[in-house]
Amino acid sequence: MSSAAVGAVVVALGAAASLTGIGVVVLGLLGRRPQWWRESRALVWTMFVMAAVSIVWMERALINRDFTIEFVAQHGSSQTSAVFNVATLWSALEGSILLWTFVLTGYVAAVVVKFREKRDDPMMAWVLLTLFVVCAFFFLLMVGPSNPFRSFDPPPGYDGPGPNPLLQSHILMAFHPPILYLGYVGFTVPFAFAIGALTTGRVGEGWLLATRRWTVMAWGFLTLGIVLGAWWSYETLGWGGYWAWDPVENASFLPWLTGTAFIHSVMVQERRGMLRVWNLSLVISTFALTILGTFITRAGVLESVHAFSESAVGPALLAFFTLIVVVSLGLIAWRGDQLRSPGRMDSPISREGAFLANNVLFTAFAFVVLLGTVFPLIVEAINDDRISVGNPYFDRMTMPIGFTLLFLMAVAPVLPWRKASPGVLGDRLIWPAWIGAGAMVLSVVVGARGWAPTLAFGLGGFAGGAALRQVVLATRRQGWRGLVGRTNGGMIVHVGVVLIAVAFAASNAYVRQDTFLLEQGQTVTFAGHEFTYESLDFRSFPNRDEQRVSIGIDGGQAYEPGIANYPFAGRNIGIASVRSTLFDDIALSVDSFPVDDAGVATGDVVIRVTVQPLIVWLWIGGLVMAVGTLLAVVPGKRRNPTSPVSAPLPPIDQPVEELV
Amino acid sequence: MTRRLLLWLGAVAVALSAFLFAAVDEGAPRTDADRAYALSKTIGCPVCDGQSVAESNATVARNIRISIAKWIDEGQSDDFIRSELRSNFGDDVDYTPSGDGVTSLVWILPVVFGAGALAGLVIVFRRWKREGDLEASEADRALVEAVRAVEADD
Repeated sequence: MSSAAVGAVVVALGAAASLTGIGVVVLGLLGRRPQWWRESRALVWTMFVMAAVSIVWMERALINRDFTIEFVAQHGSSQTSAVFNVATLWSALEGSILLWTFVLTGYVAAVVVKFREKRDDPMMAWVLLTLFVVCAFFFLLMVGPSNPFRSFDPPPGYDGPGPNPLLQSHILMAFHPPILYLGYVGFTVPFAFAIGALTTGRVGEGWLLATRRWTVMAWGFLTLGIVLGAWWSYETLGWGGYWAWDPVENASFLPWLTGTAFIHSVMVQERRGMLRVWNLSLVISTFALTILGTFITRAGVLESVHAFSESAVGPALLAFFTLIVVVSLGLIAWRGDQLRSPGRMDSPISREGAFLANNVLFTAFAFVVLLGTVFPLIVEAINDDRISVGNPYFDRMTMPIGFTLLFLMAVAPVLPWRKASPGVLGDRLIWPAWIGAGAMVLSVVVGARGWAPTLAFGLGGFAGGAALRQVVLATRRQGWRGLVGRTNGGMIVHVGVVLIAVAFAASNAYVRQDTFLLEQGQTVTFAGHEFTYESLDFRSFPNRDEQRVSIGIDGGQAYEPGIANYPFAGRNIGIASVRSTLFDDIALSVDSFPVDDAGVATGDVVIRVTVQPLIVWLWIGGLVMAVGTLLAVVPGKRRNPTSPVSAPLPPIDQPVEELV
Repeated sequence: MTRRLLLWLGAVAVALSAFLFAAVDEGAPRTDADRAYALSKTIGCPVCDGQSVAESNATVARNIRISIAKWIDEGQSDDFIRSELRSNFGDDVDYTPSGDGVTSLVWILPVVFGAGALAGLVIVFRRWKREGDLEASEADRALVEAVRAVEADD
């Protein structure tokens, strides 16, 4: 049997397991036989093993350059280095769907292990059913339109082109997609529990508590994945940018926005029993947006540097998205009566009021990003005009939202639940306010100008001060335990967000870029730095040739940007070189090597220099957010056990009609 | 006047003066290169997928960068450069959506959304305020009794 056929059979077995899983759980629910859905865990493990085997099988083929598999023939190459051989899996559509499926089955297996004691609960049957349906969708994608194991008949001596050269130029490419997928796919678990809560009618707080850590972990992975992606584009693209409001970046940002709204508003539901419909909607939208995002970016409907070639997965993803939305809305409408919240808010100036404002802002943010991303499609459908919606739009529309969010980040953590008095707020916020004022003065002293960045620094200082105040108070009270738990870890995440906001404002406002034509030995001065063209160097690698120039910065160490030519892929790509310090970053890239009239290289070079402040703090902020997320999932201070927050479990021999 | 009030007035005064100074004082003058770069970030490269002229290394993008620098050197306005590029390469090279016709919706809808959300919040809080405190019903009391009985058993 050919190796493509082996892979296809393994994928088909996975698909069969997921479809059988759906059947078994449905029959178990219809026949009120818990042992049926309880035993469906064997099918979960089958799916997981099949997905794992197909990943290993594909990686084996990529490493051994087994060109009898079409995916390897199209995206692998004998010239690609080992690390990027492994990463080739997620450099194209079929491989990414495979990775997605593997991560998904991993999560499902983890759910089965974690909730093994509740496996007779009908809620778990609905959770498993939802997860089986999602798994079946992805397995069927791989059986049909996105088959990674199509066979190929390589002519003698065949060698593949290798992955897109841009994707094999930096080590971060090996981490950014898998981590992003861990986040993306992780939101399937809270979604499944939300569906389970709706179908069983146990719409109280039980499902929230059960999936709280899952959501926070998925959110943390998504955050880290997005930051690593920004870092990757900054290091490799060489024009000083890290976020371009590209459709794919937006697609990863949308679930992040709704997910962030959710992890804040769940606290209102846990504490006050309110916002039930809202929280269910947020979880469902977050999951639906991961599917919609995949559709937008993988179906070739929008142009993007990330987009893979057009394929038949588009209609399937769109159909699945529609199914999710229709079923979820139907369930919420059906459960409308039970979802009415028992409580009410006493005052808008309270912790829950702040969370509500947070949610409105994050939803508005998501609305703007979604609208801007799909708007060109809408206009084209209406009157056939081709327009673009790019960074000027997103910058202008999201800036006021960003400012308001920073302000809320300062005020919300010190607000008490139910109702706040001005006196309490005045006491708790005075030092954060002074930190904010100090940040503004400092920025003016070091030469920063402009109202927008100065306001961002001030609000950043205010919000950072409020977060640090909470951490300091908590550690003073509880020692190291003051650093863990949801609230304290959350405050550390806030500090990371503030670092990113400040770095974002500074780098956007004070970026400077210019191009210079240099002869060898010549020096130019730009943005307070000296750049000397020292030498030109040619290097040969198995898969590419590089032309590198040596540029000395400020008479010190030389940096070597260049241009690489990948003959197989038929592409030239730039190689950026970046000098980072805590204060500013200098990104160098080669614009071109001029030629004379006869077409002979003159030995001169045109370099592009980008100088921007505080870039490093974006990555540090991302790291702080990731660490904060980890601290947030460590159990914090033990609360007294409280009365059950959800209805008691019905006995299992009760007919299913009474359960739902 | 309490000490706290003074501290607050001080913080606001310091922040406000720094803010006003930064807003009014222009700092170092903006060079032509800065202007060209800012402009090229808002123009899409006609042949690349989703990259701006500033980002792309394609020949067309490089040529547009050179043209922008030339136009700025000639003293042309940003609007002029934009409309030149739109007429040469099509409307979709301009990353800033226009405010006319259907396209204006992209600017209007978020404002409508924001206003709607704000109005919704105001209505909800008013209703909560009007409703006053809820009275516990018989069913609520029974539920509390039941929970208490269970806890007493533990």
